Amino acid sequence: MGHPRPMRRQTLLGYALILPSMAFFSAFYIYPVVYSFYLSFFTWDMLQPKRFIGLTNYRELLVAEEFQEVLGNTLAYSLGVVVLAMGIGLALALLLNNRTALSSFFQACIFTSYIVSWVAVSLLWMWMLDPQYGLVNYVAGFLGVPPVDWLGNHRLAIWSLVGVTVWKVIGYPMIIFLAGLQNISQDYYEAASLDGASTWHQFRYITWPLLAPTTVFLFITLTIATFQGFDIVNIMTQGGPVHATSIYVFYIYEQAFHYFRIGRASAAVIICFGLILALTYAQHRLFRRNLHYTQVG
Amino acid sequence: MCLAIAAPAWAGEPITATFWYSYGGKVRQVTEDMVKKFNSSQTKYRIDGSFQGDYFQTLAKIRAAITTKTAPTIFHVIGEAMPDLWQGGMFENLEPYVKSTGVKTEEFVQPLSQHGYFDYFGKSVPLFAIPFNRSMPVMYYNKDMLDAKGVKVPTTWDELRDAAAKLTVREGNDVKTWGFEVPVDWWFWHGLLYQAGGSLLSADGKQAAFRQKGGEALQYWVDMVNKHKIMKRPGGKDYNAWEVTNTDFITQKAAMIFTSTAFVNYLTENVKFKMGTAFLPKKEQFAAPTGGTFFVMIKDATPAQKEAGWAFIKWMSEPAQAISWSQNTGYICTSEPAIKSAEMQKFYQANPNYLVAYEQLKYAQRMPFTPALIRIQREVIQPNLEAPVIGLKTVDETMAAAEKAANDILAGK
Repeated sequence: MGHPRPMRRQTLLGYALILPSMAFFSAFYIYPVVYSFYLSFFTWDMLQPKRFIGLTNYRELLVAEEFQEVLGNTLAYSLGVVVLAMGIGLALALLLNNRTALSSFFQACIFTSYIVSWVAVSLLWMWMLDPQYGLVNYVAGFLGVPPVDWLGNHRLAIWSLVGVTVWKVIGYPMIIFLAGLQNISQDYYEAASLDGASTWHQFRYITWPLLAPTTVFLFITLTIATFQGFDIVNIMTQGGPVHATSIYVFYIYEQAFHYFRIGRASAAVIICFGLILALTYAQHRLFRRNLHYTQVG
Repeated sequence: MCLAIAAPAWAGEPITATFWYSYGGKVRQVTEDMVKKFNSSQTKYRIDGSFQGDYFQTLAKIRAAITTKTAPTIFHVIGEAMPDLWQGGMFENLEPYVKSTGVKTEEFVQPLSQHGYFDYFGKSVPLFAIPFNRSMPVMYYNKDMLDAKGVKVPTTWDELRDAAAKLTVREGNDVKTWGFEVPVDWWFWHGLLYQAGGSLLSADGKQAAFRQKGGEALQYWVDMVNKHKIMKRPGGKDYNAWEVTNTDFITQKAAMIFTSTAFVNYLTENVKFKMGTAFLPKKEQFAAPTGGTFFVMIKDATPAQKEAGWAFIKWMSEPAQAISWSQNTGYICTSEPAIKSAEMQKFYQANPNYLVAYEQLKYAQRMPFTPALIRIQREVIQPNLEAPVIGLKTVDETMAAAEKAANDILAGK
């Protein structure tokens, strides 16, 4: 009764307009998550009938040595990529933060690899890193470095994947940092140089604090993206040697579609979902606070 | 019989069955050509074949397809996966088809047939699989390299190790040619396990029994890789490692390799040296598993689809097709009359490398008929074999853990 008629029609229209995307979202995001949650309480091999086993899948996962290895690998991969990609991304952004043609050219070059598909990048790097025929060892050979088995050495393999991932995604933090840099008013720098601040002091006291929201945003989005990493492992190492490069989503895939332990895989999905939800929540909290900070600054 | 009522042959349209197969490269081409040939050889039936990736990708797709009721009529499945799928009720019993169409199953090369492949531990299991692209691991060697160093083709583990040591060529710390290379893989390990006089399970099939002899097998590789440094462990998991092994052999980075007889045709066409094949060397005895796939039919298919599917399976098993398949790939010919035919005998004389696997069949090892088999292979053995080779665990730690895990699976845990 409270709303006037035109308002009501507008509300209905609004719902009608979001209906297609909501339907899509429900069918391909909400339903699978809910169904995975349901399946995580069962043992099922996609062949015999499902059997309810309560929390057994969760219990087994949390004590499994392999699952702990996988968590360790995922953390190493994720932190490695996030720290390196953000560090190098920021350095590139600072170098290329001007409007010359050369700088645009370099930006475009660096960003290209971000657009290329994971499959192409993975196959390319498998060739590059091949211990016998690869370009990397060939070049290293000129410098007197003995051939390295980049993907076959179980200590090195995960770091090789980190390196390839950083190469592939580096354009993303660079572009976001550039956008962040271009939002900082030149006035601050002019004022600072009048006061005799060095380049380092300008970076330390102007650029870095004012980039904080960008930095937090990148940290969270890259962490989530690396937690969802899959293609590179599936193509380049299949989790090997032994379990050295088995990261979270690949582990889920392996449990589900190699071993047909659908219940255990679903339990792992739900744990992963919880982790990413927590990260996203943290992002919202931090982002809001930092946004406030920039407005004050 | 259901076959008789199911045939609306008068309808004009051919009866169609879908067929999933799973191998790449040249073998895929040969398969597709044979499907085409079948479709053009008659008008009553039509086969829609489609490629589904490697063996394990196909297995995953089949399960998903069963759940969503979109499974093909017939498909190729690896032997190790069959007990589990049979117990899950996926396969059609083929005995009525064999009887009503007069297929002579005794003419299949017995170690390659379902009943020759499995050890049923005294149980009676009906026929549900027809052998087709069946293989065996064999040893391939670069004859030019062996001759240059005066090395005889090895027939025992000790001889293989000595030969590999002589054939390995080093340049400083770098190895230019590896004496020996084999994928650190379930299939070859299984061969070594039986060569060492061991077996996968106990005689009643209820307990894992591979810890000691399986350990000997693994130790043999570990020593060749780490102690003598005369064997290369190819990188990559599953079939990636197989590809690396083949490539290293072709490019003469490895003098001797173990791989499937299914690559005889491919390797013959690609090597630029004299290539020989031989039995896998023995320890206590000669032994090798068989591998590759069988034709099976999905129980949920319609009677008409099953009729068309069976017509194709029957046609593919006929000597003419068995011969052309074997000659174009290197898979072992599955039909005894075909092997005895003048055409095949002449072919073997001209291409003796194709015959070695067939002769090695007298040492073929059976697989235990238990649903646990595929899990033991995929989860317990395959992912853990590499650990001692790269120095992560000792051989006995690996085998003890594997035996315990296998026993848990056998106990239904």
